[in-house]
Amino acid sequence: MSFLRRWKTRILLILAVVGPGFITANVDNDANGIWTYSSAGAQFGHLLLWTMIPTTLALIVVQEMCARMGAVTGKGLSDLIREEFGLRITFLMMIGILITNFGNVVGEFAGIAGSMELFGVSKYISVPICAVIVWLIIVKGQYKSVEKVFLVASFFYITYIFAGVLARPAWLDALVATVKPPQLAAFKGGSYLYMVIGIVGTTIAPWMQFYLQSSIVEKGVSRRQYNTSKLDVIFGCIFTDVVAWFIIVACAATLYLHGHRDIRDAADAAQALHPLAGDYAYILFALGLFNASLFAASILPLSTAYAVCEGLGFESGVGLKFSEAPAFYWLYTALIIAGGAVILLPGLPLVKISILSQVVNGAVLPFVLIFMLLLINKKELVDEYVNTRLFNVIAWATTVILIGLTLALVWGAIKGSG
Amino acid sequence: MATLALSDLVGATVYDSSGTVRGRVRDVALAPQEDRSHPSLLIVKTQRGNCLLPFTALAQISGNVRAANSASEWSLANGIEGLLLLGRDLLDQQVIDVHGRKVVRVNDVDFYQDTAAKNPILKIEGVDVGARGAIRRLLKGVVPGGALRALLQRIPPREIPWDFVDLIETDPARRVRLKISHDRLAKLHPADIADIVEELAPDEREAVFETLDEEVAAGALEELEPKVQKSIVESLDSDRAAEIVEEMEPDAAADLLADLPEDRTEEILVQMAPEERQEVSELLEFRENTAAGRMTTEYIALPVGATAGDAIEAMRNFEGRMESTSTIYLVSSEGTLAGAVPLVKIALAKADTPLLALSQEPLIYCKTDAKEKEFAELFDKYNLLTLPVVDEYSHLVGVITPDDVISMLRANM
Repeated sequence: MSFLRRWKTRILLILAVVGPGFITANVDNDANGIWTYSSAGAQFGHLLLWTMIPTTLALIVVQEMCARMGAVTGKGLSDLIREEFGLRITFLMMIGILITNFGNVVGEFAGIAGSMELFGVSKYISVPICAVIVWLIIVKGQYKSVEKVFLVASFFYITYIFAGVLARPAWLDALVATVKPPQLAAFKGGSYLYMVIGIVGTTIAPWMQFYLQSSIVEKGVSRRQYNTSKLDVIFGCIFTDVVAWFIIVACAATLYLHGHRDIRDAADAAQALHPLAGDYAYILFALGLFNASLFAASILPLSTAYAVCEGLGFESGVGLKFSEAPAFYWLYTALIIAGGAVILLPGLPLVKISILSQVVNGAVLPFVLIFMLLLINKKELVDEYVNTRLFNVIAWATTVILIGLTLALVWGAIKGSG
Repeated sequence: MATLALSDLVGATVYDSSGTVRGRVRDVALAPQEDRSHPSLLIVKTQRGNCLLPFTALAQISGNVRAANSASEWSLANGIEGLLLLGRDLLDQQVIDVHGRKVVRVNDVDFYQDTAAKNPILKIEGVDVGARGAIRRLLKGVVPGGALRALLQRIPPREIPWDFVDLIETDPARRVRLKISHDRLAKLHPADIADIVEELAPDEREAVFETLDEEVAAGALEELEPKVQKSIVESLDSDRAAEIVEEMEPDAAADLLADLPEDRTEEILVQMAPEERQEVSELLEFRENTAAGRMTTEYIALPVGATAGDAIEAMRNFEGRMESTSTIYLVSSEGTLAGAVPLVKIALAKADTPLLALSQEPLIYCKTDAKEKEFAELFDKYNLLTLPVVDEYSHLVGVITPDDVISMLRANM
């Protein structure tokens, strides 16, 4: 009896905790991620593979900080920023997050449009329908049941691993490129630098930090269960970046090798899956991209509305009625309508917009990181759970390097145009 | 009477009696243990450091602050642990709106200023949780003062009167020193308290449950989700947890304890009063998803020969909950179940009517090992108010009440 009970508690404990980290990591490989990694591989071959290990390391550190802060304080990131830094800073931060996340939402709708165009469905049909579906899923409170479908479907990413293997890439070259530090000369090209920031921005997106911390809080992960959560986070981060690595390798072995360097639409990117699925590659790609886009399109506007409303003290929650939380629902609705509407503008370069949103992610991330670092090092807030020195070094280095890269990019753009 | 906001006051220039600028207002301090609604001091940032300037030493507050004494008389702000600093402890933090029954975030604090008095006296009117306070703070110093005031007048205030504000303090030492209690919160219905508590962070939940009266805490705890219940009980000291669990209905207490780690359950049981401990331990023996696991042992059972008058008398002496009295049970001398009489029939009958004559026909009951689905079906089929549970010898051992069935069904919904 007591033996059974102990095991029951233990298994329930694991089931209760496994989740937020893995889900966040999965949503991380959204339409924007797929475009960015694909373009990186198509445009630069293996030249950007070196970013994977440092980015994974930074991703683990940053996500672990969020999860820890969530478990220890039981509060979301925007709540903490508000309580510790006051209204003005929170307001500016929320404006920044709103704009950045809006870019990401647009990217997700670009993914929906692109994937459905592969099936011959016009974006003027697919985007409005999907916007309504996404809106209804959340407002009707069906998200939790739909989430499971998304999660299972996101195993599509594994196809990139097979595609990468079947494409017979230059393994040795890819592995060497992964561990070899980059040549400084490469950074001189503006498009290379742009892509580096995009990769970091898509892998460690600002929205993920808010989303993960809120999910941990919502799940009610306590200090004692925190170690299980940590594993969940680390596992999720590694999974997402292994997939990213294979996307780059698969694209390098196919698109880059055949001189198809500029991905302009979904049909271009689908060619990377050709070694695996042959002529059916586009079906596989379209389904995967569609799932990833819809998954992220349901999470991003919601997570943004939560973060902004919590920070600014508006009522929020899908459990409330529209009239009880008007700011929350209006913001959520506006993000979806506006995000979809942008994509409906004729002749829009979908992939370019998507990658731009990830570069903006990369430029905004350091500011989120600075707040996270200040918060997690406050002893009165998290007691003995403050960052270790190693974590501080990694996270501060990420912050400083990203600021440096962004400044270099801006400087290059000014010089280039002047 | 004029109104003034905390954000107007913070940052205001402070002059001493000679008319020289001495510093700026850094915060407004309240000593809630002495006076909950009148701030007692200003904290002024001067060249010497932060100084305390009591309101009794002020000459005027209007845009800026004038002291009635010289700056050399202001003492340095050392022992401020016993003070609540409105800017630091209240602004941007969450408080409980007892009237609106929810958790809100403070955008600003509004004061009344009694202009008739000799010294300027401020009284806290309430906390601003709406757009007006937020916009005032965002635009202060960015937009010219006159234009800002004109704009703010157009925004309807969303203010919670100070009497309805319940502060949350997670530091136990400070809670005691500042005499922060949850008297107002405790007056709400336990289900409302539970809703509010679910919105709080774990430390804050613990803080609330540390200070609430045991009976209120027990009522609120029963209404919480099992997951939240568990995390709260785990965070409390075992003696405090035992005090609260004692006051819970035995079946709810048993369900809760069954979810805790075994050593923790033991710690709490040991601290409980013997009678409650025995009841709860007996229930703990049963599997949770059977009738025995769901039943309560709090009910009224009378001998077969009892009359309606005896039943009324028994109810008068009954200490349990009202829900448990909606049916009175009859048992034989060996304890076997012999009848069940609804309260309404007793109320309508004469005092000398034998209860057995009023008993329900047929007598519906279930066995201790009955599955959830079985007894839920019985409730549905016979429109029961309560369902008696008997052991293998037909002895009455407990009663299932509708609230148990409803929460069980909701959990499966």
